[in-house]
Amino acid sequence: MVASGKQSADPHRPSEILDTLKNLGFGVAIAVPDSWLGEILVKIEQEPTMRLVRATHEEEALAIACGTRLGGLRTAMFVQNAGLLSMGAGMVSLAQRYQFPLLMLVSYRGTIEDPVFYHTPKGRVTEPVLKGIGLAYALADRHRPIGPQIERAATYAEEASCPFALLLSQEDVQW
Amino acid sequence: MVNAAISPSRADYYQVLADTLPKDALVVTSLGNASYLWAAMHHRPENFYFEDAMGLALPLALGLAIAQPERPVIVVEGDGALMMHMGALVTVGAVAPANLTVLLIQNGVHAASGGQALTNANLDLAALARSAGIGRAQNIATPEAFASAMRAPADGDGTRFLVLSARPDTEVVKPPIAFDPVLTKHRFTTAIGAPRYVPTMFGGGRLQKE
Repeated sequence: MVASGKQSADPHRPSEILDTLKNLGFGVAIAVPDSWLGEILVKIEQEPTMRLVRATHEEEALAIACGTRLGGLRTAMFVQNAGLLSMGAGMVSLAQRYQFPLLMLVSYRGTIEDPVFYHTPKGRVTEPVLKGIGLAYALADRHRPIGPQIERAATYAEEASCPFALLLSQEDVQW
Repeated sequence: MVNAAISPSRADYYQVLADTLPKDALVVTSLGNASYLWAAMHHRPENFYFEDAMGLALPLALGLAIAQPERPVIVVEGDGALMMHMGALVTVGAVAPANLTVLLIQNGVHAASGGQALTNANLDLAALARSAGIGRAQNIATPEAFASAMRAPADGDGTRFLVLSARPDTEVVKPPIAFDPVLTKHRFTTAIGAPRYVPTMFGGGRLQKE
């Protein structure tokens, strides 16, 4: 799929993310803003089969996501990696403790490819922190289609009964 | 506002809740006595007990109310827990599910941690909720007023937010059941008939009703 107005042979990766979520029956997304995420969140709001909830903080978003999943909705989260750093207590004592399968789609800021320098402190500690709190995760591979990676991450969360974070680059998620 | 000398106990309010609870209601209770006492007085599979995760009962209940719009969802949260995640008030005000009732026990202390002082024990929490966009918010000081509020017909106009002034209950109630988190979740999802994940051999499973 190609974004409107763009002439490109490459698939439009954010569109693939959204299409995959719809195909897998995700009924709700819980989000906290990041500049890379802004437009895909608007697209979700426009989807008749999905609902977007905008939370004020990532740990709060995590708890809302646990609630929607508890009630039977397949649930995705969209947050920046800063949010992974600030949701640690809720992650271990709620989402992991109660074994909620959640797909977490994370804009991975502060890598060497991020032009905004002040994200660097978050980028350098994100993966060590995820390992420290035992949050299963993977880095999206930009050389492979993103849709199947979303599906595998979602399947992992369900099969392992735990949250799973897929760390996304700008071209993966920025519409 | 709390007056420790004359305010009702949590048990007084819980008795009213047990007496007025809609049959199909789902109940989420915060950590500590909020869960222990409710389990002792009115255990049922449609209760979701928090073991820890202070401050997250309200946002979880919001998510549950979104996912189960046909069922009343009632959450019991404490004033200290609310202060840990005050932003959740704003999200509840924005989403405003009419099937959600928030019961906020205002006892002026962190009861679950032994009665330590709150940052501010004298806030008008109903006014705070109204400022956050929750129009149906009121302070309640007696079980009788609570019973009236619970029996009032839902007007379908957003979330109901009842602040229950209570004296602190720092003595820990021993719950009559095991608070195993996964068991709590499994019992709850089975009771409400929530869809389950049905895998396929090579991925791509779906949530399906049994």
